[in-house]
Amino acid sequence: MPVLAIDGVTKRFGPNAVLKDVSLALDAHEVRAVCGENGAGKSTLVKVITGLYAPDEGAVCVDGTPVVITSPQHAQELGIALVAQELSLAPALSVLDNIWLGNRKVPLLHRRQELRARARAALDKLGLNDLALDTPASALSIGRRQLVEIARMLTRDARVFILDEPTATLSDVEIERIFAALRALKAEGKSVIYITHRLGEVFEICDSVSVLRNGDLVGTRRTNEIDRGTLMQMMLGRSLGEMYPAWESSPGDPMLMVKDLHVPPLVRGFDLTAERGTVTCLAGQVGSGAITVLRALAGLTPGASGEASISGKPMRLRTVARAQAADVKFISEDRAGEGIFLRLTVGQNLIATKLKDHTAFGLLARRGLRATAASLAAAVGVDRKRLHSPADELSGGNQQKLAFGRWIGGDRPGVLLMNEPTRGVDVGARAEIYRLIRQFCDRGYCVVMASSDIEEVLGMADVVVSMYRGRQVARYRRGETDMQRILADITHPAAA
Amino acid sequence: MTELTFPAVLRRGLPRARYIALAVRLAAAAAIAIYALTTPGFLTLLSANALFTAISFVGCVAVGMTFITLTGNIMSLAIGATVSASALIFLACLSLGILPAILVALLFGVVITGAQGFLVGHLRANPILVSVAALSLLLGGAAFVTGGHHIYPSGAGLEIFKDRFAGIPIDAWCFFTTVAVGQFILSWTRIGRLMTMVGSNVRAATAAGVSTTATVTAAYVIAGACASISGILLAARYGSGDMEIGVGYDYTAIAAVLVGGTGIAGGSGSTLRTLVGVIVISVIEVVLLLRGFSEQLQYLITGLLVLCVIMLHTLGERR
Repeated sequence: MPVLAIDGVTKRFGPNAVLKDVSLALDAHEVRAVCGENGAGKSTLVKVITGLYAPDEGAVCVDGTPVVITSPQHAQELGIALVAQELSLAPALSVLDNIWLGNRKVPLLHRRQELRARARAALDKLGLNDLALDTPASALSIGRRQLVEIARMLTRDARVFILDEPTATLSDVEIERIFAALRALKAEGKSVIYITHRLGEVFEICDSVSVLRNGDLVGTRRTNEIDRGTLMQMMLGRSLGEMYPAWESSPGDPMLMVKDLHVPPLVRGFDLTAERGTVTCLAGQVGSGAITVLRALAGLTPGASGEASISGKPMRLRTVARAQAADVKFISEDRAGEGIFLRLTVGQNLIATKLKDHTAFGLLARRGLRATAASLAAAVGVDRKRLHSPADELSGGNQQKLAFGRWIGGDRPGVLLMNEPTRGVDVGARAEIYRLIRQFCDRGYCVVMASSDIEEVLGMADVVVSMYRGRQVARYRRGETDMQRILADITHPAAA
Repeated sequence: MTELTFPAVLRRGLPRARYIALAVRLAAAAAIAIYALTTPGFLTLLSANALFTAISFVGCVAVGMTFITLTGNIMSLAIGATVSASALIFLACLSLGILPAILVALLFGVVITGAQGFLVGHLRANPILVSVAALSLLLGGAAFVTGGHHIYPSGAGLEIFKDRFAGIPIDAWCFFTTVAVGQFILSWTRIGRLMTMVGSNVRAATAAGVSTTATVTAAYVIAGACASISGILLAARYGSGDMEIGVGYDYTAIAAVLVGGTGIAGGSGSTLRTLVGVIVISVIEVVLLLRGFSEQLQYLITGLLVLCVIMLHTLGERR
C-alpha cells in the first residue's frame, strides 16, 4: 500500500485550474522526483499535500485512508514533513534546541540527556557525526541547516519528506551531503518527494519521476527506464530547438572592458572584454562570482574596485548613477526584491527609469509617460490592459519582461547586464525573453549575462566565460565548447 | 473536500478581501456621519466653521507625515516637538516682522526634519530611532533656551490669521492648500514619483538609479515645512506658545494618515486620503466631546479605531 497517495486532485484559483486531476502514489523506500517548469503546479501540489490549500476535487490518502489535511501542523502529525526552502531554523539557538523546538511531544519535565541522545542519533543517520549539538544554527552553512531541519523532522517520526529545490543555492560538496542523507532516509524506509529543476539530480538520486506541465500530470516513470532527452521532452512538451532564436554571430568592436576587478571576498583580479552586438555569458554556479561581477559593474557593490571602461571611456564603479550615466543597464537576479516594484503598477514599473525624459522643471508630462508605458508594454509583449494592474499579479515571466522594458529606448546603445535572466520564468515566456535579449544585441547593445543554466548559456552565448570561485576558468567562442566541458569547468576545473 | 475551517479561510486570504475592506470603510463612514449629524451641537459647529479650524493644525502635520509614511519610514516621533519649537521660534522672531518670522520658523522645521531625513536616507538609519533622538534634542534645546517658560509675541500683526476668506478661516485655507500642494507634488512632479518608488521598494529604486538620499530627505523636508506651518498657525491662534503646544500631534497625525488609507509599509498613499483621515478622526473626537465622553475615553476610542483600520488594511492587502 502506498504511504502517500494523491487521488485525482484538482485545485483552482478563480477560473484557472493550477492542478488538473493529478494522481500519484508514493511507496516506502522511494525517492520520487517531481519535475516541471515554473508554473507547472509543483508548489501548489506541495501546498495541497502539506495542508496549506484544500483541493477542490480529489483527495489525499495516507496509508490508504483519505484524509482532510487542515494545516501544516496536521500534516506533520500525519508524518508528512516539508523541508522548507526558506530555512526555518532559529539562528540564535543551538542545533539541539532547534531540533526539539516546537515539538509537542516533549513534556515540560524531560530528561535532557535523552533528548541529546535522540538528536545525536538523528544527526548521525544523516552523516552529521562531526556536528556538535551545542553549535548555534547561525554558524552552519545553508546545506547543513537543511540537514538539521531534516533531522528535526526525523525526531518527529516523519515518514514522507518533501524537499523543494534543496540544492538551488548549495555548493557541490553540500549537495553531495544532502544526497547522502536522502539515501540514508531511503534505507530507513522513508519516502521522499524531491522537487527540482535539475535533471541531472533526478537521475542521480531519484527512483522515479513525475512530470507536471501546466497543471497536468504528464506521467510518472522509473528513472532507469527513461533518459534525459525523454524527460526534457515531457517537461517542455516540445524539443529544445525552438527555444533559442537563431542568429548570425557578428562581433563588433570591444565595448565593455574590465581590468583587475576586485569584489572582496569572492572576486580577485577579474578581467573581461565584451563586444558590441554580442551576448557574453558568464557561466558559473552559486559562489562562482559571475553574479557578483555584474552587480559590481552595475554600481551596486560598495566594496568593488578595479578598472572598467565603456567604449574606451573609463567608468567609476560603486555608484548606480555613474553606471547609468555610462549607459550601463542592469537586470537583477532578485526580481522580487530588487528587479521590479512588485507593489506598483505595470505602467509605473515600465517608466521607472524614464521619468527624467518626461520632466520639465520638476513637473511630469503625464501624457508622455502614459504613451511611453503603452509602447514599452507593446515592445515587451505585456498586455496593455494590464498597465494598471499591480506587478505582483503578473507571472514571473511577465514580471521579468517589465524589468527588460524599462531599459528599452534611449538614443545610444549601451551595455546590458543581466543576472539569471530566466530564473523563475516559465517556458513560453523564456523563449520571448531570449528573443528580447537578441533584439538588444541587434540594436548594437553589448549584452553580458550571468547564468547557472548551461543549456541557456549554450543556447544564447556568442562568447562563454566559465567561472569558478571568483576566477575565469576558460573563454570560448560560440561552437567551441559543449555542455560537458562547461559543466566540468564550473564544477571541478582542472586548473583549480 | 471543499469545506474550509474558519482559520483556513483567513490564512489563505479572502479573495474579495479588498471589496470587504472597502465596504467596511464605507459603512463606517456612513455610521460616523449619521452619529455626528444626530449629535446635538454638531451642526452648529459645522456652520460656525469651528470644526475646520480644529482640524487645520493637526491636519497640516498629517499631510507632512504622509510623505514620511509614503517613503517607507513609518513616522517621525519628533514632529510634535517640531510644531511646538516652530511656534516658539515664530513668536520669538515676530519683532523682525511677520514675514521674516514665518520664514525663520519654516526654515527651522525644514532643517531639523530634513536632517533626520538625510540620516535615514543616506545611512539607512532606523527612522524611529532617529526621530527619538531628534525629539530629545528638541526638548532639551527648547528647555535650555526658554528655561521652560511660555513665550508671548514680541510684536503685533497676528490679527490677519484670525481673519476669514470667503467665509472660511485662514487656518483652514492654509490646511487645504497644504493638502492640494502635497497632492500636486505626489501626482505631478518627478520627486513625488520617486518617493513612491523608494517607499515601495528601496532596493529596486536604488537599482533603478534613484538617489534614496535626495528622495527621502525631500520627503522629510516637506514634513518639516508642514509641521512649521502648523506651529505658526497655532502660535498665531493662541498668541502664546510653549513646548506642550504640539504634544500628541505626531500620534494623531499618523492615525489620520493610516485611517485615510496610506499604507504603513510605504509606496502607496496620498494627501487626499489623509484629508479624509483627518476629517474622520476629528469628527469622532468632536462628537465624543459633544456627547460628554471624557478625554481619556476619547484617546481610547481613537486608539481602537486605528487598531481596527490597521487590521482592515492587512486583510485587504493579503492575497
